[in-house]
Amino acid sequence: MTDTPETQAPSQPIIHIEHITKVYEMGNEDVHALRDVSLDIGNNEYVAIMGPSGSGKSTLMNMLGCLDTPTSGTYLFKGEDVKSMSDDELAMIRNKEIGFVFQTFNLLPRATALQNVELPLVYAGVKSSLRKQQAEAALESVGLRDRMDHRPNELSGGQRQRVAIARALVTKPSIILADEPTGNLDSKTGQDIMDLFERLWKLGNTVILVTHEEDVARHARRIIRVRDGLVESDDVTSK
Amino acid sequence: MLRPSEIAESFRIATSALRVNLMRSILTMGGVVVGIVLVVVMGWTIKGLDAVWERTIGIIGRDMLYMDKWNWAGGGNWRDAEARKDITERQAWLLAERMESAEYVMPLARSWNGSVTLGNKQIMCSVQGTTQSYGNTPAGTTEQGRWFTGSEALQGSHVVVLGHGVNRTLFPDNDGVGKTIKIGGIPYTVIGVVEKRGFIFMDFIDNQVFISLNAFKSTFGFFGRSFSIAIKAGNEKLLDIVRDEARGYLREIRNVPPGKDDDFSINEMQAFDAQVTTIRIVIWMVGIGLTVLAFIVGSIGIMNIMFVSVTERTKEIGIRKAIGARRSSVLLQFLIESSMICLLGALIALPIAQILVGSARWVAIGPLKQEWVSAVSPFIQVDLLFIAIAVSVVVGLLAGFLPALRASRLDPVECLRFE
Ligand SMILES: Nc1ncnc2c1ncn2[C@@H]1O[C@H](COP(=O)(O)OP(=O)(O)O)[C@@H](O)[C@H]1O
Ligand SMILES: [Mg+2]
Repeated sequence: MTDTPETQAPSQPIIHIEHITKVYEMGNEDVHALRDVSLDIGNNEYVAIMGPSGSGKSTLMNMLGCLDTPTSGTYLFKGEDVKSMSDDELAMIRNKEIGFVFQTFNLLPRATALQNVELPLVYAGVKSSLRKQQAEAALESVGLRDRMDHRPNELSGGQRQRVAIARALVTKPSIILADEPTGNLDSKTGQDIMDLFERLWKLGNTVILVTHEEDVARHARRIIRVRDGLVESDDVTSK
Repeated sequence: MLRPSEIAESFRIATSALRVNLMRSILTMGGVVVGIVLVVVMGWTIKGLDAVWERTIGIIGRDMLYMDKWNWAGGGNWRDAEARKDITERQAWLLAERMESAEYVMPLARSWNGSVTLGNKQIMCSVQGTTQSYGNTPAGTTEQGRWFTGSEALQGSHVVVLGHGVNRTLFPDNDGVGKTIKIGGIPYTVIGVVEKRGFIFMDFIDNQVFISLNAFKSTFGFFGRSFSIAIKAGNEKLLDIVRDEARGYLREIRNVPPGKDDDFSINEMQAFDAQVTTIRIVIWMVGIGLTVLAFIVGSIGIMNIMFVSVTERTKEIGIRKAIGARRSSVLLQFLIESSMICLLGALIALPIAQILVGSARWVAIGPLKQEWVSAVSPFIQVDLLFIAIAVSVVVGLLAGFLPALRASRLDPVECLRFE
């Protein structure tokens, strides 16, 4: 591996990005979604990425989740350079190391809650019986044991997001990445979901959540503010 | 490497996608269904043809050789054959005496256009003068009465064994044995009827009557006739030895100088195979042409519907990729879906093909001979089922490849933004 001082530090960060940019080409106009972002995120942190709409939060999150690759800059995930990875290697990282939670839940509509949660394990090659067992455990941990056979359209928004969280948890990933996870929920349900993240964090998970709401961001222990594709501030909150 | 769990998932996705879009899928299957029906019906027809042919040849036996002035298959030069000297009675008998390896060697004299009459009913057919032992070969096995004896042959008794077809024409009530008919104007007593022997291309076999050589001589005379010698090797494996021996002796008997071509032909059952092969090739060419056309039309339809399917499921592709589906996984998912559409097409096509095949056979029982029809299977053969299934899967894979490739290469972020 690289012999940079960072990787030799006692607590090597899971995420290390340096001078990352992301430019989208829209016709003949370039959109600079990220201009120059550098940050480290370590194990068992609880980070909120905040900023107004269009500031580049989702772009940053997709980058952190290896769903997208930077136009320039360096991204070391657990010390490994993401740039040198193939599509399939990135898919493998997403499968094993990352759990995504989206604003619109992104469940497969025709699959049951259990099948949705099993899906990452399918792509990890886990055998059917073990898969079922692990998916059930994940659903249990989000309090949905009795809804396993329901399809998304038979579940409330909060329940759907719980299924999505169970799906994110099921492979025991290094980080959980949530993009506006409460954006489509009423405030009461949103609060429940935030409590769930809190609990997961306390259980030792690394949680990164993207939001434009101060109320939501306040749950995190570190707030990174983004504006126009740049990090505006990066503070540890006292709590 | 794809994992078993991913493969199983691909099947699950494909079946559920098919169920949701069942009507649409069935409508696009048209071309594939037609293609598979064609493949199966064509295969069945060729198999039927072969079966009828095998039955025909099998009864006469592939171990039969006919030494003759003429080449039956019409190969070689007709003028050359005409210039050949006739095979004389003496040459035929000399060969019969010398041959050692064959089971039967039987000189034959033939009048192609003998008149056979019963009362005022007259038919023209082949009259064959032959030996007593011809009655021991499959071509001379009687179903009624008997063959002529050695002493009848020696004396030239006016007894006749009828071919199956002649019997049916002259005696529709099947009561000919013991009756008297006239051959070449001479009265003959019917003593037997030969079993049905001729099928495709070989109908003439049933349309002849058999008398002894001496009777033939007294009724038609041998002047100006070229003999043939029918040789039954007794075993297909002996054929090469028997052929060599017969050729050697007949060359010797006819004084063919070394280095010169034979001045006779050796006719074998294989000579007729070429005709069957021609028919088979015609069926193939017509069939393959139509099939390819149907599959091209079918593939375009399926490719189209698969592109639609990929677009409709862009979001799903994004979700799957986000949680770790690799390109190959997505590729497989859509390939399996397209092959399952085609497989479903095969499942629809096979009963249709079976109905066609069954009715074709049923219709054929009327105008065609029972014996032909019975040689043909009333069902689609198992290997054709597998061929149909394999072909449908291959067509599915080919038709689904481009859409599946596109799906596998989609950018997950773009997919997730898709609404
Ligand atoms: N795939 C894309 N193609 C073009 N422009 C994009 C794409 N994704 C994001 N953008 C642009 O990049 C900027 C940042 O977007 P995004 O990261 O989604 O912001 P946020 O999540 O903070 O609202 C926006 O101006 C957006 O229009
Ligand atoms: Mg966003």
